[in-house]
Amino acid sequence: MKTYKDIVGDGGSDMVGQITEQAGRVQQRMATVKHIVAIMSGKGGVGKSSLTVNLAAAMADRGMQVGILDADINGASVARMTGAGGHQMAGGETGIKPATGHHGVKVMSIDLWLDEAGSPVVWDAPTQKDAFTWRGMVEAATLREFISDTEWGELDYLFIDLPPGTDKLPNMVDLLPQLSGTVIVTIPSAVSQFVVGKSIRMATELLQTPVIGLVENMSAYVCEKCGKEEALFPSGHVAKLAETHQVPYLGKIPFDPRIAMAADNARAFVTEHKETPAAKALLNLAERIGDFVS
Amino acid sequence: MKFLCIECDEAMKLTETRGPDEGSMTVIFGCPSCGRDIAMLTNAMETQMVRALDVKIGGSSVPAEPMAMVKNTLRDQRDNAPMAQAMPAGKPKSGGSKCPFTGMITEAEEAKQSGMQWTEEAEQRLENIPPMVRMMVRKSIEQQAEEKGYTVIDAAVMDEVKGKIGMMYGG
Ligand SMILES: Nc1ncnc2c1ncn2[C@@H]1O[C@H](COP(=O)(O)OP(=O)(O)OP(=O)(O)O)[C@@H](O)[C@H]1O
Ligand SMILES: [Mg+2]
Ligand SMILES: [Zn+2]
Repeated sequence: MKTYKDIVGDGGSDMVGQITEQAGRVQQRMATVKHIVAIMSGKGGVGKSSLTVNLAAAMADRGMQVGILDADINGASVARMTGAGGHQMAGGETGIKPATGHHGVKVMSIDLWLDEAGSPVVWDAPTQKDAFTWRGMVEAATLREFISDTEWGELDYLFIDLPPGTDKLPNMVDLLPQLSGTVIVTIPSAVSQFVVGKSIRMATELLQTPVIGLVENMSAYVCEKCGKEEALFPSGHVAKLAETHQVPYLGKIPFDPRIAMAADNARAFVTEHKETPAAKALLNLAERIGDFVS
Repeated sequence: MKFLCIECDEAMKLTETRGPDEGSMTVIFGCPSCGRDIAMLTNAMETQMVRALDVKIGGSSVPAEPMAMVKNTLRDQRDNAPMAQAMPAGKPKSGGSKCPFTGMITEAEEAKQSGMQWTEEAEQRLENIPPMVRMMVRKSIEQQAEEKGYTVIDAAVMDEVKGKIGMMYGG
């Protein structure tokens, strides 16, 4: 009797062919994108999205064409932070036109699709029961469509704001084997560093995807009046963590409440407060990324 | 997943998909050598898995509509979410449905619309034919009926042309 291997094809659906075609669409779309940089952290709330939008603004400010893919389906924030949220998307000739945020940054996010910004993302399904088994698949398909069906056009940088955790990174590496690198974000607390250590290992050991480096966010508080830096946590640990895992240490971004304020007002902190230590640190980070990919 | 006709040791070919109906799909495979049909019935979860993969059972012959998965699956969408235009070199697909299998079903429906009218009785008879060859038989009957100048196919017309195509099913 014939076995699975003896039968060519799947009887007419050509699932493999369809999936190959999907991957082909991704590659075709990414052909006009020079560098793809993912921002990740095993930990939530450490500033991934804040860094993403500010890095995008910094690059755009230097005259680069920049896009942001908000890969955080259940915690999307990029559209809001960049002021792209109110935009009406339109169908283009080869896909959907992205929304435009500050500095002309192109944005694609689930937020742009939702009836009410801030409403939870619910997927239609014959059954919501056991959603955990298929939800990840739907999200993966969504990200693939966001990449392949958005009219990104010519981009120097496509930044990907990943959700907290490490489970979306393999998916990204799968979709985008040409990923230029990932920036891993942590804050100088022991717990964050422990969790982030796992993210680094996931990227380096398991996925063998290039790591641009580890960045220490909200490292210190800079007094607005005197400009003196006060450490919020004991310093030096993050640099050591980077060393342990043999990834570059990208430096500190001090705590500055104006980063949060700017985001709330859909403005770019980094270009509006260029002279602050935090903005300088962000600009320096953008430079390090530029050096890495070139 | 593949299906094998044990008797003929022959791979079965997909002939028709129906549904999803209350989350369940019917996927019919037939053996090209003995004509035996089997139906695979999916539960809601399996149907959802296929949808999540964003593939079409039965294959897709039309290029995908941009963001089809998001559009068809995301609940509480903006009213004026961007209207799809065709993907490059593609023709627009009749959209708006939440069903991952529409592409294929719509194509089947389109194929059905030949302009030829079928009476209920004639349709009924056609139903008795295994799905695998049903479409073929339908086309063949329509073609011959047209040649003879009929615009409506009823049982009598079927009887008239069926001898010619050696129809061994139904009727
Ligand atoms: N350097 C900083 N100085 C001051 N506030 C900051 C800084 N970095 C981030 N924040 C603030 O910290 C909060 C969390 O930041 P953000 O949303 O960017 O983190 P995230 O890692 O993307 O979170 P999530 O895991 O939920 O996606 C926000 O209120 C943001 O404004
Ligand atoms: Mg975030
Ligand atoms: Zn057989």
